[in-house]
Amino acid sequence: MYVAAKGGEDAIQQAEKLYQHLNGTLTPELVRSIEMNMPYLVDRVMGEGSLYAPELAALALAQTGGDLYEAVLLLRAYRSTQPRIAYAAPVKPAEMLTVRRISASFKDIPGGQILGPTLDYSHRILRLDVLDNPQENNHHSHSENNEAIKIADKPASPNYPAVADWQRGQGLMAQLPEQTPVDAADIPDVTADPVLFPAPREHRLQALSRADTGGVLALGYASMRGYGLIHPTVNELRLAHAEVQVKHPVTGATFSAGRVRVSQAEVVTSGGENGKTGLTVGFAATLGWNEVKLIAASTLDMEMNQPSPHPAHTEEFVMYHTEAVEASGFCIHFKLPHYVTFASSVDNIRKVIATFYSSEEKSNGADKPTEIQSETATSEAMPS
Amino acid sequence: MTSVFSQSDTLTILTHTPAAEVKTLAEAILPVLGDVRVLINRTGLVMLPYTDSAEGAIFHLGEVLVSEAHIELATGIQGYALCTGRDLVQALAIAVLDAALTANIQTEKITAFLQDQQQAQAAADDLLLRKVEATRVEMETF
Repeated sequence: MYVAAKGGEDAIQQAEKLYQHLNGTLTPELVRSIEMNMPYLVDRVMGEGSLYAPELAALALAQTGGDLYEAVLLLRAYRSTQPRIAYAAPVKPAEMLTVRRISASFKDIPGGQILGPTLDYSHRILRLDVLDNPQENNHHSHSENNEAIKIADKPASPNYPAVADWQRGQGLMAQLPEQTPVDAADIPDVTADPVLFPAPREHRLQALSRADTGGVLALGYASMRGYGLIHPTVNELRLAHAEVQVKHPVTGATFSAGRVRVSQAEVVTSGGENGKTGLTVGFAATLGWNEVKLIAASTLDMEMNQPSPHPAHTEEFVMYHTEAVEASGFCIHFKLPHYVTFASSVDNIRKVIATFYSSEEKSNGADKPTEIQSETATSEAMPS
Repeated sequence: MTSVFSQSDTLTILTHTPAAEVKTLAEAILPVLGDVRVLINRTGLVMLPYTDSAEGAIFHLGEVLVSEAHIELATGIQGYALCTGRDLVQALAIAVLDAALTANIQTEKITAFLQDQQQAQAAADDLLLRKVEATRVEMETF
């Protein structure tokens, strides 16, 4: 039970002003700077906010001083004010403009390994020279940095086939079921449907797509360390730009409304499903580029398919506990006034103390737990 | 003349064009279109389904913020646009150009613009993919 906060209106207003004051000035320039210079942070907010809107994600980050959960909440709240106008055509990974695509399971995959933008094989060292020699580093504009990038004689292919399809062709993986056209409006949707278990695969993958990165990583890491039943190998990791294909309502012509950054991961393990031979595959994808989340999420996808996973890797546990807004909201609600609930608990404690630990009983040595429990049980069992 | 671009290509090029350039062209063409009635001009969401490469399921990846515009000329010809982001004027500008092409108004000018933009967009993709190609790696095992 909660109580209303009375008489604190001015304090609340001042607290909000102090919060904004300490976070610095909120300006359009700050928002643009975040959007341009912190794309992975913006991606994370969009992925967990389940809304692709880089400008608004940057605004949410600026407005909250970089508090990720607050920023995700703001984006989700904004999303809830907007009508759903249309459903885009399903994105096919093989048709995306791919800028990074690697495999840790096979080195010679069709199309080759493209590292793309990554720090995977780089030293992670703080660039102290940026702070110590600001004069020397001020002239490093974007265009000058671009000049330092090597331009190959020929462009990379924009599209790559799925590594899994290549493995299916070799009989290493179960064939996909025959695809039938799907009306996008009929696809199960966790934002509109009740979530029941076992969940349809569409619910599971959508939930993982919008899941909290930290939550997914914690559960996925627990699986990888040994609480799980499998050892994942990254079969394919892909960063790409996907077209948002929609239909002209008058003529029916299909066109792209723009591009969005998306990422996907597949992990595999040997042994096959339920004792079958071959490779078992787990999958996850999200809005924005977020590799660690997807490797953990695709591992959890595979783990959840196991006959008897660790309790923390069951579908219900994973889906319920990696929902960023619900989890953070429930956690932080505990700092709000609980005075009545707590006062009730304290009253009970005081009654117990007064009843069983009074000075008279203490002097009689009546503080034996066995006797107290016995007496209480008897009194509660007595008909009134 | 009729446009050499299909409506699909036209709208795709225009939604990928910097908003300021589309608006400038639409402003120039608007006076010759006559009365324009705005049927819809709003922001909203497009749900983006995605294909699962493990089991073939199609699921919702998340939603994309878009701006939509639907206009009608005095002749009854309609123009439509849907583009990512929350720039309502950008969507209106694209819808104006869509209507103009359908009505065969200023086709030559718009087509020239589309050709320039298509080339610029192709060049940008080509440059990006050349930078990507430079990161190709041959893995070896010992």
